[in-house]
Amino acid sequence: MSGLPPPEEWPSVRGLLAELPDEALPRAGRFLARLDPAEVLAAHPATPLVSLYVTGHGTLAALRPALAVELARHGLLAGITLADFDAWVRDLADPASDLYTTLGEAGGPAFALAVLGPEIVAAELPLPWRADDAARVLDTKIALIEKLAETFASTANGATLVLNTLPLPRELTAQLLDRRERAALGAAWREANTRLLRLDRPEVAVVDLDPLLAEGVRARDPRQSVYAKAHLTDDLLAAYAREVGHLARQAAGQGKKVLVLDLDETVWGGVLGEVGPEGVEVAEGYRGEAFTRFQRVVRQLGSQGVLVAAVSKNDPEPVAGVLRDHPGMTLREGDFVQVRANWRPKHDNLAELAGDLNLGADSFVFADDSPFERGLVRRELPGVAVVDLSDEPALHVTALLRDGWFDVPRLTSDDLARPARYREEGARRGFLESFDSLEGYLAELGTEVRLAPAAPAQLDRVSQLTLRTNQFNLTTCRLSPAEVRDLAGDPDARVLAIASADRFGEHGLVGAVLLRRDGAVLRVENFLLSCRVFARGIEQAVLGAVLEHARGSAAREVRAAYRRTAKNGRVAGFYPEAGFTTVHADEAGAEFRHDLTRPPEPVPHIRLSADFGGHQP
Amino acid sequence: MISVEEYVTLLRDELALPVTEDDLGRSLDTVDAWDSVHLLTLCTLLERQTGRPLPFARVLEAPSLAAVYELATAS
Repeated sequence: MSGLPPPEEWPSVRGLLAELPDEALPRAGRFLARLDPAEVLAAHPATPLVSLYVTGHGTLAALRPALAVELARHGLLAGITLADFDAWVRDLADPASDLYTTLGEAGGPAFALAVLGPEIVAAELPLPWRADDAARVLDTKIALIEKLAETFASTANGATLVLNTLPLPRELTAQLLDRRERAALGAAWREANTRLLRLDRPEVAVVDLDPLLAEGVRARDPRQSVYAKAHLTDDLLAAYAREVGHLARQAAGQGKKVLVLDLDETVWGGVLGEVGPEGVEVAEGYRGEAFTRFQRVVRQLGSQGVLVAAVSKNDPEPVAGVLRDHPGMTLREGDFVQVRANWRPKHDNLAELAGDLNLGADSFVFADDSPFERGLVRRELPGVAVVDLSDEPALHVTALLRDGWFDVPRLTSDDLARPARYREEGARRGFLESFDSLEGYLAELGTEVRLAPAAPAQLDRVSQLTLRTNQFNLTTCRLSPAEVRDLAGDPDARVLAIASADRFGEHGLVGAVLLRRDGAVLRVENFLLSCRVFARGIEQAVLGAVLEHARGSAAREVRAAYRRTAKNGRVAGFYPEAGFTTVHADEAGAEFRHDLTRPPEPVPHIRLSADFGGHQP
Repeated sequence: MISVEEYVTLLRDELALPVTEDDLGRSLDTVDAWDSVHLLTLCTLLERQTGRPLPFARVLEAPSLAAVYELATAS
């Protein structure tokens, strides 16, 4: 977000924020805070509005942008009222206060945020003071808060009071020199926080700041605290606002129920289609342990009513095999309500899954390590929450849990029984093959493909592709590095490397085409493409370039073969679909020819540059 | 160090204030969309950008954005 969004563009804000890194959110929040909710509602009357009355100790104005952006991330408009400075006790104690009036007038979900910091205690310590003085002040404060919570519960109909635990600053503990005294202060402080946490009831939510601080968020900036009475840092208030955003999302009825996981590089390491069931990383080795840790957390969520499903671009049988037989897997087939392993666009799978489960896709959370797949789902199904997994599996758990997607005020027995119920209904469909229209997305993706003779440094990677690619491998002719090198040196042959990139970044060397010139016949000896990038038009564009090259170099025809294996069934039709005719075909495979009378079909969304390295082959 | 242009860019792009260089000398309460909390955020952003601490107490007394700039760049 690079400026103040006009109110009428509100519906696009959520999608824009989803692509921003955390460090860019405060800035977006400062712009969003200037947006008048009334103007957004005038332009889009159906926008869900959540009313937030912010009160507490000290200067809390930094919460306004933080709340605006954190609620907008969930598509919620924040109607924020900032109370007078330090008016929290009066606000909460007096049933006729501005706080209760404002909450009473709120049309939708309403929250009172009573933001409290350690200064409510520090400011009332005598001088000199001892641990039992602090304990006494803490006791008085918590008793007061307990009473205010009672008043709130009986006064604010349907609204929620949000309290928070008090961070314990070293500036306090270090003032006590006696070790036992210092420990006593620590214990009394924790007892006060424990009492606060025990206040959690339907009308009261307590945000525990300890886990946020443990992530490394700084609690206080003494200068801001002393000079500006801003007792909690902007960073801590931003983390707090994120938690409030989760509460607001739940109150607005936008809780999530289904976790849809990609499999390769999400649930296990490696690409199953390339490395095979024995090659996937799970349970053992550094990365394997990281994936197992993630699987355990998924299972933990599943035990609390989250429906877990898998949508993976893979053939169904190997996926079923790994889930059933791989000794290292924590997640098994029975942990999923559905496993959809096929080659169709993931958003189509998600939409069908939603139909099968009889849930809206907006109750879905989708986690994938591929920016391509995430971008496509975000675009096609904007209601789905998308979790950005990286190529570092040790960070998968943090990413999955970052937004408390499945948090609920209270788990019900129905929640707990839900996964079993869906499994019994057991609609395990899927495994169908079709390729629906993706043109719009692919056009926006800006895919660039470079086809050129493999450089010496790329020959090992080409060998690796022939050895490890099982699915998009037309002949499955495996070549050692030495054999690839020989081929590259053969004047009648050509080893072409396919490299690609799109707006998400470089994919590097993703495929290879092996050509041989035999008089007036140009032979495609093999065609390989990593499953990370196929079904985006790259294969059609490259084959088109080969046909164009043949036409331009006086070849009479192009010949190509397909050798069937257990894993490459889905590319059996690759050449016929590109205009080749079948010379002969049997169980083992087929031979094709293209007579070059008609030009190949263009692939408009791909920018391809082709270099065949001179006129031969 | 931060140039005047960079300072104005920071005010506009990071702080979301619709100001130009001409507004720097104005009294803060007449700056469009100004709120006292902006001063705190501005301190944080300036310290992050310049890598040097600001005298907070004096910044809080600054009458204008130009005065804040002078404090941030004073040697």
